[in-house]
Amino acid sequence: MAALLETRDVTIRFGGLIAVNLLNIEVNKGEIIAVIGPNGAGKTTAFNLITGVYAPTEGDILFDGEKINGRRPDEIAKLGIARTFQNIRLFKDLTVLENVLIATHLNVKSGLFSSVLKLPKARKEEQEMVKFAEFLLEETGLLQFKDEVASNLPYGLQRRLEIARALATKPKLLLLDEPAAGMNPKESEDLTDFIRDIRDKFSLTVLLIEHHMQLVMDISDRIYVLEYGQTIAKGVPAEIQANPAVIKAYLGEEDED
Amino acid sequence: MKTIKTVNKRNLILNIIVIAALVGFIIWAEEGRSFGSYNQRIFKTCCIYAICALSMNMVNGFTGLFSLGQPGFMAIGAYVTAFLTVSASDKISIYKIIPISEGMANLHAPFFIALILGGIIAAAFAFLIGFPVLRLKGDYLAIATLGFSEIIRIFITNAQGITNGPTGINRIPNTYMNLYVVCGILAIIVIFILAMMKTSYGRALLAIREDEVAAQAMGINLFRHKMLAFVLSGFFAGIGGGLLASLVGAIGPDQFKFTVAYDILLMVVLGGQGSVSGSVAGAFIVRIALEKLRFLDEPIDFGIFQYKGIGGMRMVVFSILLMLVIILWRKGIFGNKEFSWDRIFNFFAKFKKSPKKEVQG
Repeated sequence: MAALLETRDVTIRFGGLIAVNLLNIEVNKGEIIAVIGPNGAGKTTAFNLITGVYAPTEGDILFDGEKINGRRPDEIAKLGIARTFQNIRLFKDLTVLENVLIATHLNVKSGLFSSVLKLPKARKEEQEMVKFAEFLLEETGLLQFKDEVASNLPYGLQRRLEIARALATKPKLLLLDEPAAGMNPKESEDLTDFIRDIRDKFSLTVLLIEHHMQLVMDISDRIYVLEYGQTIAKGVPAEIQANPAVIKAYLGEEDED
Repeated sequence: MKTIKTVNKRNLILNIIVIAALVGFIIWAEEGRSFGSYNQRIFKTCCIYAICALSMNMVNGFTGLFSLGQPGFMAIGAYVTAFLTVSASDKISIYKIIPISEGMANLHAPFFIALILGGIIAAAFAFLIGFPVLRLKGDYLAIATLGFSEIIRIFITNAQGITNGPTGINRIPNTYMNLYVVCGILAIIVIFILAMMKTSYGRALLAIREDEVAAQAMGINLFRHKMLAFVLSGFFAGIGGGLLASLVGAIGPDQFKFTVAYDILLMVVLGGQGSVSGSVAGAFIVRIALEKLRFLDEPIDFGIFQYKGIGGMRMVVFSILLMLVIILWRKGIFGNKEFSWDRIFNFFAKFKKSPKKEVQG
């Protein structure tokens, strides 16, 4: 079976700095894959490469068998890759519902003038968009806040809203950039269930970056470990936990005397 | 607490009353004698500048792009409308330095067609310059659009065969420049923008204003949507320019200097960027204040002492008033929200809080 997402020797250089070197990730349909590594390992850069924010200097990125490197982020979103951001990037002054509605815009079929004139077709489409957005808010437990301005939500709910917004683009692959950042153990446990839940409900494939090891070990089918742009290990959680290179990267080496 | 239904009903009734009062006022001002042609003219100028302010708000307020190209688009609209509505015999007598060819002189269109054509040509220019300039952001975009606007003005000054150069075009007929037409066009544009901002396209523009990176990651084609706002803005500015030409009756390149962009920017910022009602209010406040403060330039007799009148005093007072407004309402009078009765009632409710009513449901 061909992988849903595959990166082939993807490399990006910023001047003399090699941020990501020969990255080979394979994500199969329905999997939950984690990318871990110390700060500055190039994890977010890898996400930015996959979502088209950067074009790779070398190598290819394939999504659903199609080459996507060099495409614009909005084109990639249309193909079915949605993401959340490490430092939450909601549309702060807009309401929760509007935030989700905006992400449904990429599937709009009505033209500007039929939307403005509220022609029956456009009106129906708008109603369906609202219905879908409200459904997503219900699934993510945010429906009661739908008319609240996004920046007024507590931090944990803002993270959820980002996921709801990403789901509104009807993605096949969801990229989560540190979804548990700033959460307490109870919250991140809830998040683990939540991610599994949406994976099953929306038949998603999930690729996530996370520092929270408990969550990573609980949830991931496979793990990639990055350090200084290099992939130093990959495998199932148990293998990663026992891998000496990973332990070295995280904890340092024991002095030999 | 009142139920949503009664609140909606109250708002609907208030809206109907206000709209009826506005329509009544316009009919009275147009038909009656007591409003006076001077006041009528101020009112029309206010409406036209409101159109220009809305045009700028479309780009600056809703889409979050800092553009100052308005004078250029207004000039295009104004010249197209003027050129097409001035009669052939008048054109021949106006174009003195470089006589106009017969074919050009005979180009003529009815007012409304000329006006819309002016808007369309301005929009076409917006489309063309949009390709290079919409790749820029922030201050750079402002400089590029300002430059465009100056290029248009200099082109008009020098293309004497078409535009009659620095002398400009006069004897522009103002047959249709009554309050019904001016207010009607403003109303159509206001309704269009309000309706548009409630569609998915409007929300996409707001998303670009809020966070470009996130908007693009959610599948919004930044360039196409920025272009949409820019072209619409150009169209409205063209219409505004055409109306201004017909109202004033004579136009020249100097009327479309880059300072016009700041005048309009002032209205937009004062009213609140991203608010339709704000732009309209801003335009009315600025234009009316500039006219009604004229008494400060003239001598006033206070009884005890005589104020001799200082030319330009009104601008000093006007600037102080502006500073006060900006200090008190940093985001403009309306912020990025629209006028709503709920806000007004909530505002007054703060003053007369009766706790008993609040507790009872």
